[in-house]
Amino acid sequence: MTAFASTPSVLAENLALALKLAVRELRGGVRGFGVFLACLALGVAAISGVGSVSRALSDGLARQGGVILGGDVALSLIHREATAAELNFMEERGRVAIVGTMRAMARAGDNNATLVELKAVDASYPLAGEIKLDPPEGLVTSLAAPVGAYGAAADPALLARLGIAAGDRIKIGDATFEITATIASEPDKLAQGIGFGPRLIVASGALRATNLLQPGSLVRWTYRVKLDDASARGLAEFVRETRRRFPDAGWEIRTRTGASPQLERNVRRFSEFLTLVGLTALLIGGVGVANAVKHYLDRKSATIATLKAMGATGGTVFSIYLAEVGLLALIGIGIGLLAGAALPFAVFYGFEALLPLPFSPSIQPGALLLALLYGTLITLAFVLWPLGRAHDVAVAALFRDRIEPPGNWPRRRYVALTVIAIAALAGLAIGVAEDRKIALIYVVASAAVFVVLRLLAAAIMAVSRRVPRPRSTTLRLALSNIYRPGALTPSVVLSLGLGLSLLVTLALIEGNLRRQLTSTLPKQAPSFFFLDIASAEAERFNAFVRGHSPTDARLDEVPMLRGRIVSLKGVPVEEIKPDPEAAWVLQSDRGITFAEDVPEGSAIVEGAWWPKDYDGPPAVSFEKRTADLLKLKVGDPIVVNVLGRNVETTIANLRRVDWENLGINFVMLFPPNTFHGAPYTLLATLTYPDGGKPDTELKLIKEIALAFPAVTTVRVKEALDAINSIVADLAVAVRAAAGITLIASILVLAGALAAGHHTRVYDAVILKTLGATRGRLVLAYGLEYAILGSITAMIATAAGAAAGAYVVKEVMHFRFVFTPSAALIAAGVSVFFTVAFGLVGTWRALGQKPASVLRNL
Amino acid sequence: MKPPRHQPVAVAMEGVDLSLGTGRARVHILKQVSLQIAAGEAVGLVGPSGSGKSTLLMVMAGLERPDAGRVRIAGEELGRLDEDALARFRGRAVGIVFQSFHLIPTMTALENVAVPLELAGRSDALARARHELESVGLGDRFGHYPAQLSGGEQQRVALARALAPMPALLIADEPTGNLDEATGKEIMDLLFAKRAEHKSTLVLVTHDANLVNRCGRIVRMRSGQIEEAAAPSVAVARLR
Repeated sequence: MTAFASTPSVLAENLALALKLAVRELRGGVRGFGVFLACLALGVAAISGVGSVSRALSDGLARQGGVILGGDVALSLIHREATAAELNFMEERGRVAIVGTMRAMARAGDNNATLVELKAVDASYPLAGEIKLDPPEGLVTSLAAPVGAYGAAADPALLARLGIAAGDRIKIGDATFEITATIASEPDKLAQGIGFGPRLIVASGALRATNLLQPGSLVRWTYRVKLDDASARGLAEFVRETRRRFPDAGWEIRTRTGASPQLERNVRRFSEFLTLVGLTALLIGGVGVANAVKHYLDRKSATIATLKAMGATGGTVFSIYLAEVGLLALIGIGIGLLAGAALPFAVFYGFEALLPLPFSPSIQPGALLLALLYGTLITLAFVLWPLGRAHDVAVAALFRDRIEPPGNWPRRRYVALTVIAIAALAGLAIGVAEDRKIALIYVVASAAVFVVLRLLAAAIMAVSRRVPRPRSTTLRLALSNIYRPGALTPSVVLSLGLGLSLLVTLALIEGNLRRQLTSTLPKQAPSFFFLDIASAEAERFNAFVRGHSPTDARLDEVPMLRGRIVSLKGVPVEEIKPDPEAAWVLQSDRGITFAEDVPEGSAIVEGAWWPKDYDGPPAVSFEKRTADLLKLKVGDPIVVNVLGRNVETTIANLRRVDWENLGINFVMLFPPNTFHGAPYTLLATLTYPDGGKPDTELKLIKEIALAFPAVTTVRVKEALDAINSIVADLAVAVRAAAGITLIASILVLAGALAAGHHTRVYDAVILKTLGATRGRLVLAYGLEYAILGSITAMIATAAGAAAGAYVVKEVMHFRFVFTPSAALIAAGVSVFFTVAFGLVGTWRALGQKPASVLRNL
Repeated sequence: MKPPRHQPVAVAMEGVDLSLGTGRARVHILKQVSLQIAAGEAVGLVGPSGSGKSTLLMVMAGLERPDAGRVRIAGEELGRLDEDALARFRGRAVGIVFQSFHLIPTMTALENVAVPLELAGRSDALARARHELESVGLGDRFGHYPAQLSGGEQQRVALARALAPMPALLIADEPTGNLDEATGKEIMDLLFAKRAEHKSTLVLVTHDANLVNRCGRIVRMRSGQIEEAAAPSVAVARLR
């Protein structure tokens, strides 16, 4: 009759008996389990909700893959168009739509200019999905050339930005366009990533008429193919055949099953991050669960002793209460799962119009199962310990009418079970994570915070026991309440500390991210990036910009070519599985440059820079962090394809680059002799000494657009605004998740304080009988809570700052700045809730009539 | 302290020594206690508070392990049993009636009586519990919870619960301590009647001279030792 009986039939009998007695016990109601149920429901709802929403999004992306991609498969090339042989190959296998995209400057008359994301399409566009225009005339009609101009369909934002209306004309390069329609929806918008300007769709012929297609200009040609054999096998076969037939084409191949891999990866990573935040809510809830079970078992100790007196073994008692707690946990987890499963539907029906992404709400069994597992393991990890202690409730106490709580440590088997549950929990968190390193850091950090807070509680108790007794009775009472047996100190410190640590961590990460993107934009950050400056125009451009900007403004120009890495250390890139963070370097064409001297903002950390007028074999300088991620070192051979020619080179040195100043920098940098005679364009930045003012910046955009129609100007502030608005949207989700954690924390705190209520009533009554006034008692209790809250806030802020600094520095690779406002808010929240919840309970205790309580003591 | 001759022994304790607590709070409670009680005998255990009566009961019930000495109850050497075996033994062979009844508040009267039988794996637990409850006069209270019963009724339920597994040894710790005089007498009448019916050995701790008088033998304790064992008339005279 133990929880560890060996044979299955005995085990089944025990289980049945335990369940029967547990159900009987539960008839007494679930008083004291409110916090238990709420904590589990909240945490499980957060995890299952995040999982369900993210999977609904992934499903949406997968189902809409063909539409997002604009075909079954898309082959994209930078700079060059497909050769006749390549195009023939595609046309033999399906219908092809050719799309050319580039950034360009749109000019409205002589007074306005702005950056546009230009998209040139042919008559087959779109192969999948539907483009919606206003007026709804059909794309071909809209793009047909009116007299003296080409037709163009524009994002309404472009009209607003240029102050024009449909029917007005704009110029891009050498061509004139009439805005014949505005774009209501564009089916393949997601596959393009973040746009820095509004979209303008034109016909392919019109793009050529702009004369922007010069050698080296940054145009991307994408060939979308709707395959005749669109089956999964046909698709795989097409990709294989393409790679085999054109191994050196240098195109990036995407299929409908991975239409927007970057977006999918980001969705997954972000949902994993939110899951960890949800798991923290559940972890904090676990403290509430443990507290609830401990106090419940304390109340039940007479019943437990009676059961043992009647022949129940310690194991049976453990089984009965495990079954009872298990049933309750199932209710809590069930409520959480229901809420989590409903979340995608709520999001869909509540915010469909606002969602920029395809979304298919459905019940997501995988996400729910994961949340169920987390909920179960958290419950076990937190209840096995207090349940194990019930094993040793002394029956002898029944004879003495005084039930002594068992010792703090349960038997070894329960300690072992607790350890197994915690290990399983950690294993699950790490096992299901895409980024195991982050999950591992999370597990270690959580464990560390738990240990630190537990030690802190012990330290607070030890110190308050040893400090000299103050003269003030009130302060003495407050101090002794902190360390007395059964004091609230451990549960308050743990529940409040965990929630606050996470809150401070998230607040600091968000603050640093925002600072990185906006407020502390480095003073030396450029105001503009100028792309596609033809090398022949370089001198005129230089003179023009200097003539139109203050004398102390700084213009930096570097040559730029496009190059694609073909192999690293003799291994073709197709066969390399790079670290996800460095995968972009190998994916398609990258900007590369050449230089005589070490560029500003770079420092050589390994190897040596090439001498002046270097005339040796091809060499390359590689950015240090990327080299580390790709496991490259000085002397390793690399083959880079530039303008169709394979350049075999070796790494001469590694550079550490300060990306934060937003200056021009490249992963790969060559000595000038490598590309002698090759056509290139210039990339330039302009930096104002005062950081730039909107009106001077906007004026310069117009002037350059008029003088150099082919040069694309990217205003850094606008680009950052685009990124910032995305970060702001994500921050809402992060804050919501952090809010759930805070609620869990407050719930646990309230639960812990409520559990101490009984002792408070006893104390209050005795003290009132001895002549203490209400005011003095309130002051003493308030002081106790304030001391606990303040110390916890300090430590939680320190722990949160450490975690935040680690994430900002090691994961995001930003400089970390501690913002005291986050810490102050945390401290304020902490002290406020502790004192408020504590005093609410105490006030009730103070209202008790001494006589009625004394009679029952 | 030996029982009358020619009767099987229900309780045999030899040289039992027990201290409780740790450090400076450690108290030597039982000092070299030896006691034998014959099967079917009713023994009253008397003595001042703190003399070790309740602790002696706990040792008999296998709830405290002595530091030294041997304890044999209903033929079972308790020192040889591990904790789980002791629990099973208790469920089978020892019935306990407490001063504060200690019924489980979330269970009905019937379920309270059935619990020890269920714990022992008896399939007829509820039928047997019904029978016991009827036999203590609570046939109409099966579905009542402890809070819905009077003190006397609660102690009857506790008595039915203690007797339901037909234990060889019935232990009662101040069973009338929380009851008024009339109800206390009713309960004791019932206790003695049922004991006779079940032929159980009874060890009764009480301060009530009238109750002691109903026992066949009185064992007096003082400072953790058995002072003397005597016939009731002698002991009662001393109690008074």
